[in-house]
Amino acid sequence: MVKAVTMPKLGQSEETVKIVKWRKQVGDAVAKGEIILEIETDKAVLEVESFFAGTLLKVVAGEGVTVPVQTTVAFIGDPGEAVPDVAPSTTPAATHGPKHESMGPLTRPSPDGHPLPLEREKGLSPLPAERVVPSGGDRVRGSVTSQSSNEGSFQPSASPEVFRISPRALKLAKESAIDPTQIAGTGPGGRIVERDVRDYLEAHGYNRLRITPTAKKLAAREGIDLLSLAGKANGNQITVADIERIVSERPKPLAHIRQIIARRLTESYTHAPHFFVTVSADITEVEALRATLKAQGTAYTVSDFIVKAAAMALEEFPIVNSVSDGEAVRAHSSIDLGLAVALEQGLVVPVIRHANELTLAEIHLRAQDLTARARSGRLMPDEMTCSTFTISNMGMLDVENFTAIINPGESAILAVSSGAKQPVVKNDQVVVRTMMKMTLSSDHRLIDGALAARFLNSIRKHFEEISLWQRLT
Amino acid sequence: MGENMTPVYLQDSRPDFAPFEIDCGTIPAFRYRGSLRSEMAEGRINAAAAIDLLEDMLMIREMEEMIVTVRSGAYEPLAGFNYRGPTHVSIGQEGASVGACSALILKDHITSTHRGHGDSLARGCCAIRGMSIEQLRKRVSHSTATTREELLEQALEEHVYRTIAELFGKEDGYCRGRGGSMHIADFTVGHLGANAIVGGGVPIATGAAMGLRYLHTGGVVCCFAGDGAYCNGVVLESLNWAAQAQFTNEMAGKHPFGVPIIYFVLNNHYAMTGRSDREVMGVSHVAQRAVGFADNRMHAEIINGMDVLATRDAVMRAAQGCRDGLGPYFFDVDTYRYFGHSLSDPRNEYRTRDEEAAWKAVDPILTFQKQLEDCNVLDEQGIAAVVKRVRGRNARAAVRAAQAADPPPADVIKYMYTDTFVDKVPPEFAKVEVLEPLAPIKRVNGEITYRDAIKEAVVEEMLRDSRVIFYGEDVAEYGGAFKLSKGMLEMFGRSRVFNTPISEACICGTAVGAAMIGLRPVVELMYMDFLLMAGDQVGNQASKWHYMSGAQVEVPMVLRVSVGAGKGYGGQHSQTLESTVVHVPGMYVIYPSTAYDAKGLMKSAIRDNNPVMFVESQGLYNEKGPVPDKEYLVPIGVADVKREGSDVTLVAYGPAVPLALKSAERLQAESSVSAEVVDLRTLVPLDLETVLMSVQKTGRCVVISQAVSVGSFTGEVASRVQQEAFDYLDAPVMRVGAKNGIAPQSHVLEAVFYPRVEDILVAVKSIL
Ligand SMILES: Cc1ncc(C[n+]2csc(CCOP(=O)(O)OP(=O)(O)O)c2C)c(N)n1
Repeated sequence: MVKAVTMPKLGQSEETVKIVKWRKQVGDAVAKGEIILEIETDKAVLEVESFFAGTLLKVVAGEGVTVPVQTTVAFIGDPGEAVPDVAPSTTPAATHGPKHESMGPLTRPSPDGHPLPLEREKGLSPLPAERVVPSGGDRVRGSVTSQSSNEGSFQPSASPEVFRISPRALKLAKESAIDPTQIAGTGPGGRIVERDVRDYLEAHGYNRLRITPTAKKLAAREGIDLLSLAGKANGNQITVADIERIVSERPKPLAHIRQIIARRLTESYTHAPHFFVTVSADITEVEALRATLKAQGTAYTVSDFIVKAAAMALEEFPIVNSVSDGEAVRAHSSIDLGLAVALEQGLVVPVIRHANELTLAEIHLRAQDLTARARSGRLMPDEMTCSTFTISNMGMLDVENFTAIINPGESAILAVSSGAKQPVVKNDQVVVRTMMKMTLSSDHRLIDGALAARFLNSIRKHFEEISLWQRLT
Repeated sequence: MGENMTPVYLQDSRPDFAPFEIDCGTIPAFRYRGSLRSEMAEGRINAAAAIDLLEDMLMIREMEEMIVTVRSGAYEPLAGFNYRGPTHVSIGQEGASVGACSALILKDHITSTHRGHGDSLARGCCAIRGMSIEQLRKRVSHSTATTREELLEQALEEHVYRTIAELFGKEDGYCRGRGGSMHIADFTVGHLGANAIVGGGVPIATGAAMGLRYLHTGGVVCCFAGDGAYCNGVVLESLNWAAQAQFTNEMAGKHPFGVPIIYFVLNNHYAMTGRSDREVMGVSHVAQRAVGFADNRMHAEIINGMDVLATRDAVMRAAQGCRDGLGPYFFDVDTYRYFGHSLSDPRNEYRTRDEEAAWKAVDPILTFQKQLEDCNVLDEQGIAAVVKRVRGRNARAAVRAAQAADPPPADVIKYMYTDTFVDKVPPEFAKVEVLEPLAPIKRVNGEITYRDAIKEAVVEEMLRDSRVIFYGEDVAEYGGAFKLSKGMLEMFGRSRVFNTPISEACICGTAVGAAMIGLRPVVELMYMDFLLMAGDQVGNQASKWHYMSGAQVEVPMVLRVSVGAGKGYGGQHSQTLESTVVHVPGMYVIYPSTAYDAKGLMKSAIRDNNPVMFVESQGLYNEKGPVPDKEYLVPIGVADVKREGSDVTLVAYGPAVPLALKSAERLQAESSVSAEVVDLRTLVPLDLETVLMSVQKTGRCVVISQAVSVGSFTGEVASRVQQEAFDYLDAPVMRVGAKNGIAPQSHVLEAVFYPRVEDILVAVKSIL
């Protein structure tokens, strides 16, 4: 039986999801639980597993298309089974690219199932039935050609949007490693034919290019236009090294997750006017406590303490636990702390919910679990969304100080640097203490300097208050 | 001139309108009054032979009851076996099949029908029983048995096994699972095939008998077919064919000899359900058909088909008559099929149960058993022992067949064609009698016409191999509608060159039969349009038997068809239909464009062991071309580059080739476009490689034929070119053919109907 594959609703917040890649093609066998496609929410790229076993019979929504969750995107069933006719409820993302790549299918099924040339469809209303009855002639554009025994009655219009090139010409262009989109076609309908490619090569001095055969093959494979290399070779002939250099210099698309990060951070940094306040916290005693606790069996991290301290400070300064767009302010009803975790592909921010209601031990366990799952890529989307304040800890990376960019949806972020032993004046004595800088980035639309200073100092105060930790541990 | 000097016959019948009456004579019915007792008393049968009759009838019934029960899972030895395939059982007709086959000898032949299990088993059993110990040893070559009885028993079991294996579609079946129930054949015992086309086997039987007559083998063909078949045109054509006066009167020269065939009508009174009595025929007895075809009524008789001794007696008499040159014979054999047309037919919609009961009361097996007991040949236990032996043997064979290997799927189209041809003519056929040598065809500057080239090829091959015979409408004294065979009757005599009735289906069908028994007929259809009259014999018979028989038989025949296009003869004399034949795989298709190719290809076609359709263009008959006077062949399946060029490939065949060449000249002269012309020469097998090589060079391709473009072979070529040379194409592949219409008579219309040079130029220019 044919089963519809619906776009899963992966979290509370997603209304639409973009299809990044179909891992399975129509006709492929699909096992239950096998990954069939990759999707992208505005937070992350995720893999979708099939609930059914069978054959992928039809893909309703293709790559690059954004669909509402819980709509049908494909059908799985037995080979040959009839599939319901479902139109994708989508708006395809605009495709950009070289002209000839965006050519797309030239035909689409006509109402009676016969493909009709697409350009001919433009502005044509459906054919009146009486004109469709062919009297033996070929039906073209709704009329019956009187004599059309021979082909060629369909003359393609020289539509400028359609890139026309004969297979032979395209093969020559590919083998010559040149970009054919610049060539003027002189064949029927403006089609580029072999002689046009040859003329173009001649006119552009292609035959004077000196190029090694392997370099030519590599260029063809990599789609590098050899004509664009004229004069740019290192020696007097183009070699593999030249092609490799160009290939390595070519921009490559960012990973999807990086693109998401880029978009979100740019948006935040350009919309929220950031300002920065830095304090130095004395962590000597906390470090000693951590060492003792570790000896007793629990390896608390500095972050565990900072989360707790920040949660307490946020209770005191609810305005920092709010968000503004410059026109209104919205207070978050809970204190959900995001913890930035660096992965190879980028940054993820798992969230410790209701951090203010948790004990230090609970915070420790929660943070450990989230970080581990973040590293193995097994976080659920819901676990990465809707934090109200974020902590970015680079303590292990030996940095003196840094600033962070506020996560969209929040008003401040705390950048925690490495602890280091320093000579410090205490009770008019120079002593050696372990000091750690913390810098708060704040959205100036909501938070002023004094508030930021008081908030940050509150965190520091809680953090340094060893009696508090002794109570809590 | 003496009779032996020329076979030419000039008719001289004058008007004579004196009143008279025709006496159609009488047809005896149920003349046989014998019994087992009388037969034994007269020494016409002994006890052992009588038991054989019973055993063979039982074997048929047992096997067909197996088919009935295996369908419902009730056949115990094969519980759970899924039999797919037809269930046309002949239970009730065993006396007819066994009686007839028991009267034949090993060198005789049969043809049979969709309801042919009985005929096939009976023919095999009777033939095997008549084999010498050496022949038996050959048949069961794996056997280590030493006595004749053992070998015989093994051969019989092997026969049942290979029969059931064929029904089950197994590689060990007689036709390697390619034929199945309705096409079962065993050419080693002269079984020329059951036929799923009602009546389709009758012209084949007729052609085979005609071939036996020509070869003087003394063999006979017993043609089994149902009453329903005797309404079918080709069957009636066959009766006329076999009864032609020219085979027995003075035109037959030294060999007045009737066609040795017995038309054995298995008259079970029903076609599928159509009643031959009182419904779909106007005569009350099928036997009356014979009256219309021969003054001697083909010795027609009505025979009791429920009495195995009656059918045996009839066929014994007829076979002897045939061997004496008195054929053909016609028997309307009164019998009954107990089951429906197939198991899906409940029978009660068109006949009564009382009728069935009345026939079952004269059951051929039960009545014969009674006679055996009455004559003390077998007592009750003796009969039970025969039944048990048959049942055991059949069950063993069925189980073995069910477990036998299926044909390998990779071999699905293996055996479509044979790759054999006549390299050396066996000495017995290499001696050829020439009556009046034909004057050699004159060459002017080494050139002869396309017509003469074909004629020269046929004549040379007829001189080389006496198995080559030549017939068609008006080909004898008149020399054919296009004078291609003028002088050939005089040269080879009427036994090898003769006129046929206007009977296209039979022209083709008899050629199939004659080819099956070893002749190499070259036959002519005056216009290709008439091919449609012979559709079954070309498409279902000639093309299919090599494959359907699992490569047991080759059908070496050449079917010459002439295309009339361009003479103003209108829609029914102007078609070029090679594409329709190509669409039914199994037959080679050749369409030459020059005198040189025509001769070389015709010689190859005659020597090839595949059936070949040789298409000739009337428009080219007078075209001259160089033809060496030394022997040469043009290989089948090799295209020819008729003109080299670099800008565009024109693929053509037949009369489209000169058109393409003319176009190429004009393209060169008017536009400096260099066109290459590839002449396919053969459509099946197709030499695509030559086409692809040319397209690789030029990047452009126009495929041209004289046929209407819809469904034309040009479409096949175009699609293959784009499929296999896509990257070499600089433009879409174009096709040029006749308009998608019907050839008109009007000269003005006809001139624009067929493809012209202008059309080719337009097509070429549209892709430059
Ligand atoms: C040319 C053709 N038409 C129709 C059929 C379908 N058909 C199969 S058997 C049959 C009846 C044949 O009757 P008959 O020749 O009396 O043989 P019977 O079945 O009675 O043995 C028909 C109509 C066929 N196989 N071939």
